[in-house]
Amino acid sequence: MIIEAIKYMFLGMGIVFLFLYLMVVVLEWQHKLLLKYFPEHFEEEKPKSDRRERLKKVAAITAALHHMRNS
Amino acid sequence: MRRRIIQFLLALAVVMIPIGAIATVSHMTKQEQPVTTQAPSSQEYESKSFTEMLVNFWKQTGIYAILNPQEGVKNARGDEITPFQQSVGRVIMIAITFVLFYLAIAKGFEPLLLIPIGFGGLLANIPLANIIGDGGFIGELFKAGIENELFPILIFMGVGAMTDFGPLLANPKTALLGAAAQFGIFGTLVGAVALSQLGIFDFSLQDAAAISIIGGADGPTTVFIASKLAPDLLGAMAVAAYSYMALVPVIQPPIMKALTTPEERRIRMTTKRKVSQLEKMLFPLTVLLLTILILPESSPLIGALTFGNFVRESKVVERLSKTLQNELINIVTIFLGLSVGSKLAAEYFLVPETLGILLLGLVAFSIGTAAGVIMGKIMNKFSKEPINPLIGAAGVSAVPMAARVANRVGMEEDPTNVLLMHAMGPNVAGVIGSAVAAGVYLSIF
Repeated sequence: MIIEAIKYMFLGMGIVFLFLYLMVVVLEWQHKLLLKYFPEHFEEEKPKSDRRERLKKVAAITAALHHMRNS
Repeated sequence: MRRRIIQFLLALAVVMIPIGAIATVSHMTKQEQPVTTQAPSSQEYESKSFTEMLVNFWKQTGIYAILNPQEGVKNARGDEITPFQQSVGRVIMIAITFVLFYLAIAKGFEPLLLIPIGFGGLLANIPLANIIGDGGFIGELFKAGIENELFPILIFMGVGAMTDFGPLLANPKTALLGAAAQFGIFGTLVGAVALSQLGIFDFSLQDAAAISIIGGADGPTTVFIASKLAPDLLGAMAVAAYSYMALVPVIQPPIMKALTTPEERRIRMTTKRKVSQLEKMLFPLTVLLLTILILPESSPLIGALTFGNFVRESKVVERLSKTLQNELINIVTIFLGLSVGSKLAAEYFLVPETLGILLLGLVAFSIGTAAGVIMGKIMNKFSKEPINPLIGAAGVSAVPMAARVANRVGMEEDPTNVLLMHAMGPNVAGVIGSAVAAGVYLSIF
């Protein structure tokens, strides 16, 4: 019966490893695939700060300051 | 708080010990002179004197039942109860349930489970009431959800909805650590069979398999497998599984420290990549697909887990996700705890096998931890990115306790080294791993 149990041990560990290893492979592959076809999902949400946007902000702040001083 | 609890326990002991002592004495005298069978009861109503009524009532009290155990009595489920189990056994079991309350309240060990289980055990040991039998409310709960393995599955849905698989997706390789930790299960199977062969315990192959699943450190999986392969051992197995899960911070660190050097414990792991929501949403579907292809036997457990996770990550059914994470899992935990507690009845728990289960469960748990750590060392040798072997110990499921322990042991060596999120990867992979192991057992037996 011990031999039987050892056989089950190898079978069991084999299947567990096979399953999780396959899962690792599939997940890596899925990641690459997603990166290729849906790159927009992986982009960091960087604050868009081109020159014109920044100038607009400066203008708004100056206007607010003026408004405060004058009133 | 603690002093008061100790005072309370002392007071309890003052009450319990005399009852136990009286019961033991009367039990010993009872064995010398076997009880004569009761007179056949007549159908017609006879007028009774008041004394007779009092005597009859006295015979319906718990004190009488505990003091006067009878030979050949069967409980409501049709299993025989020995006089020992009826008298001293009940008192011992009631004391054990109080120990469970103490652990849950004063020590904070898995109170969510130990309180319902303990109270279920308390109710199960009430003489004459037959709460755990047919028609008794816990008996009915047991039939409704444990006998047909419904409750563990429902718990798994909740677990799926509560688990964020992001850390695993960020570093999928760590899933192999979760696989290695399952060696606790299969290694113990061999150990249990060997011990039975040597004549120390008397476990069949199925019993041994069921007991070894404790090494997966996963409560619902243990209950699921126990009710399928070894229903008689369910109580002791569930108690062992849940208490060892609660004892993770005590059991694991010595093993982890013994197997690693301080340098290895100081290893820093690289920061992980970003995981997109799309990936998280596809993950449950991918895992389920693999299950369908490779091991359909474990699809009840993994199916429920992935369903819960899909509900969570789809982000469009917030209400369902919240229900799974809170109301459903809480309600089922109450039912599961009480029904599992019913197996703490003296006639089921006070058997020699219990000791073997508690012992083998601990061995399973330790082997699992060790295997995870060793696998971590091997992977560290062969992998391009450094892997701290400590996170291997989190490969036994016990989410999120095992990951926290790995993090804490790492911090003891280097307080700036945060391993928590890295350890969550093997931790959640361990849940999948033990569900797969359970599926293997189901396909064998």
